Amino acid sequence: MSIVKQVILNADEELRYPTPGELKMIRTFCKSGGDRIQVVKHLEEKAPTIVEKGTRQFWKVCPRTPSNSGSRLKTQSAKRDMSWYIRLISYCLIAGNGQPLQDIGLTGMKELYANVGIPLTNILQYLKCLKAEAIKQLDEADAAEVIPYFDQIIQEIALPGPPYFMNDGPGESVPV
Amino acid sequence: MTDRTNGGSPVTHPQHFHTVPSTVITEAERRDRYPKQSEFKELSAFFTSGLKRLEIATVLANNADVIVAAGANRIFTGGSPMAYLEKPEDPVGMPGSGYYVGEDFLSAKARQKGGPSNALQEPRLVEPVNAFLDRIRTLFSSGRPSTPTRFRTIDIRKYGTVRMKRSMRDLAWFLRYITYAVVAGDTSIIRINVRGLRGVIPEDVTLATVVALQDMQWRAGLCFSQDPAAAALVKGYFEVLITEYLVEKPNHQLRFGVSKLHPGLPLPQSYAQSALPTPKLVVKPGLSETETQDAIRAAYRQVFERDITHAYGLALEDLESKLRSGQFSMKEFIRHLGKSRLYRREFYEPFTISRVIELASRHFLGRGLSCLEEFQTYFEVISEGGLPALVDALVNSQEYADYFGEETVPYLRGLGLEAQECRNWGPQLDLFKYSASTRKLPQFITTFARAQKPLPNQHPYGVGHDPLEIQFGAIFPREDQNPVAQPAHFSATSRRILISSGLHNGHHVLGQNGTVPLGRVPGTFGQSVLKLEPSHQPQGHQAQGPNLNVNHHSIEAVILATYRQVFGRDVFDSQRQGIAETKLKGGQITLREFVRQLARSRPFRQMAWENLYITKSIEYIHRRLLGRPTLGRDELNRYYDLAGKQGFYAVVDAMVDGPEYTEVFGDDTVPYERYLTPRGYALRSPQGPVAWWKPRKNPDIAGAWMANYATVTEAKRLALATTEASHSMESTNNNSPAARAESRLNVAIASPPEPAPMPSEAPQAQPLETSTTEDSLP
Repeated sequence: MSIVKQVILNADEELRYPTPGELKMIRTFCKSGGDRIQVVKHLEEKAPTIVEKGTRQFWKVCPRTPSNSGSRLKTQSAKRDMSWYIRLISYCLIAGNGQPLQDIGLTGMKELYANVGIPLTNILQYLKCLKAEAIKQLDEADAAEVIPYFDQIIQEIALPGPPYFMNDGPGESVPV
Repeated sequence: MTDRTNGGSPVTHPQHFHTVPSTVITEAERRDRYPKQSEFKELSAFFTSGLKRLEIATVLANNADVIVAAGANRIFTGGSPMAYLEKPEDPVGMPGSGYYVGEDFLSAKARQKGGPSNALQEPRLVEPVNAFLDRIRTLFSSGRPSTPTRFRTIDIRKYGTVRMKRSMRDLAWFLRYITYAVVAGDTSIIRINVRGLRGVIPEDVTLATVVALQDMQWRAGLCFSQDPAAAALVKGYFEVLITEYLVEKPNHQLRFGVSKLHPGLPLPQSYAQSALPTPKLVVKPGLSETETQDAIRAAYRQVFERDITHAYGLALEDLESKLRSGQFSMKEFIRHLGKSRLYRREFYEPFTISRVIELASRHFLGRGLSCLEEFQTYFEVISEGGLPALVDALVNSQEYADYFGEETVPYLRGLGLEAQECRNWGPQLDLFKYSASTRKLPQFITTFARAQKPLPNQHPYGVGHDPLEIQFGAIFPREDQNPVAQPAHFSATSRRILISSGLHNGHHVLGQNGTVPLGRVPGTFGQSVLKLEPSHQPQGHQAQGPNLNVNHHSIEAVILATYRQVFGRDVFDSQRQGIAETKLKGGQITLREFVRQLARSRPFRQMAWENLYITKSIEYIHRRLLGRPTLGRDELNRYYDLAGKQGFYAVVDAMVDGPEYTEVFGDDTVPYERYLTPRGYALRSPQGPVAWWKPRKNPDIAGAWMANYATVTEAKRLALATTEASHSMESTNNNSPAARAESRLNVAIASPPEPAPMPSEAPQAQPLETSTTEDSLP
């Protein structure tokens, strides 16, 4: 789930001690830890505002949507789901990568919305409004940490799954 | 009994151990909240201590050999134990090792150029002299642990090379895991991996191992002589290691089966421990308000899958107050939640009964349905007594009492907490997801049902994956959206339709299928089994008359057919194996030997081995030499083993020398295609496999279509002719030829291929028509 675990798994697989490079990665992870905790705290503080204002913005853009249909239950569930996303982002900040988002949140979300009957475009619009609102509410450094995870959610919902065969090209490795 | 049902194989990532961040995240996620202040403090401590811990880990890694040697020298005598320590090979340069770790990647050349400072620091091997010096150096340092009186050192020569190597490997392993634990900042990785090792490592060396570990602990402490805090930390980790090692091998956790047919499953304790720390909440009298509140919210989350108090502002006030006042136990509370109006509205009314049962078993037992019998039991309950009866049955069950009792809030018994069953693996993973309550279709019952009657075109990896057709080890994501969600067991023993090649030779039937040949492989003609027959009569039976050649096939034809079978095409002249051909013609080798020679030849090796990956290669060669696809993993695994250890020639020999080849083709028959499914045939067609399932546009009976065509044209011709001829006639007259022709035309267009009525029936069927018909048609 976090980089620490990944390093240990890799090292164990090759029966070796963690290499200096890996330790350096963990070092940076630890060094930035305090800052990331601060971001989490700020995000938690701002989360209700972001959801509230983002929702209003969303209704302006997209007035015909289940959450705006007057049913209090639907509005509440929509807000709950969105604040749930923001909470997931805070977990990601702690872990230092997007893995928790994948593990807990994103897998199967598209199917969920399809089953419930909410159009995906509306969800996308909603998330974009939240993202804009988050940029507004958080200061610049915090936003820079948070926004990539918003983008990850949006991507996951907007795009079809990864193609069967992904060729990332030769990469940056030095040819021997 | 073997249970062959399979619930699909979605990938999961079980938790191997925890670190502080992962624990915090899981805990917060389970309780649907942001991390608490105390958890933030824990995290900050983890981050700030990180640099320190990494330094310690680096020092331990650099001194690994010295430390291991200290432990080993204490318990072994009569040689240099470190000589038995095998280092893992340098991963760089090994094919497929994928050795690159962040910025650490260096090509072999760059590594050499960069020198030792740049390269990964290799732990040096401790020479006996160095070890001796090290021992002298540390001789006078204090705190060396004394050995217990029962301890005797082990003589290396008596102990044996194999056991020595194992011992040294294990000692190095202990130290490596200590390093990992230091990096992770958590002892759980040690605890999980070491507990129970005592039963694995022979009991008679337990004492010696502990002595060695204590010495390693002491030696590792010496590495941090300037830093008492670090020394204490390392010492602490070693303490945990030694305590855990001394624990007796713990018993397996058992999961009870639901019926005689479906027995329970054991789960090794180490797995149970490595699971995430699940909050098991208990409601007892005398709990604080916040704890009770936590437990109530957990119960809501378990039963309603969502935090209803937060989102809906609903709470079942009277039930809650009864729980608080002690009138209800947690079990009763759960039961009443299940019988509440809200539960009925959320999880009963929107679903079919089958799905209701699946969801209820998640809510009240914390697992998915286990087997078809269980489903049938509950189905009977719910159809007789409705939802309340089902809830009662679940909550009153022995299983509920065993796991949750009166006080515990039910929880999900997922991966890691308990042994998971194979037959409901996929559906159960789905059931535990957040999106489970939006899925309307029942999933367990359909999976079980499908497993009872497997469809002929399915595979554990997904529908539409026929393991018998050459797919070269690949799994193609086609056929539908989520193939792993609906698997069914499918194997070589399933019956299937084969396209027969029409070869009758007595060996044709391939065991389990037992089919009679149905026809020929489409597109082939005149193909039959080619057999090599001796070109001259055996000695002593010399025919007296003229020398007639009674062979069916000339030897040249047999040779060409063999090339065609082995290579899949006619070969170029330069690729022909002249020597083998001559030998065959001369009767020096059998045809089987000839096939072997061809398969071992340079061109075949180039074509079927050198440029392909191993699975593809094996499937390809197998199909060529034995005339059928490989029947699945079991068979492939044998060949993988051969290919890996002995290479191409061994694979070819194994096939040609195998009992199947001898039985089917014998010594003198040219191998031929024995096992062709419609799908496999379609795969070879130029349009690809798509053509196989595409609906045909043509009508199936050409005659019907032609008949239809004839009727229409005739009617049109009639209509044209009559309208021109009697243009002035009143169109109201139904009996006019034009009107009749037109009506016939309409009928013909509407329902073309009706058979003409039998002459005897015609009067009854259309009495009016026949009575008024004159032969006035031109």
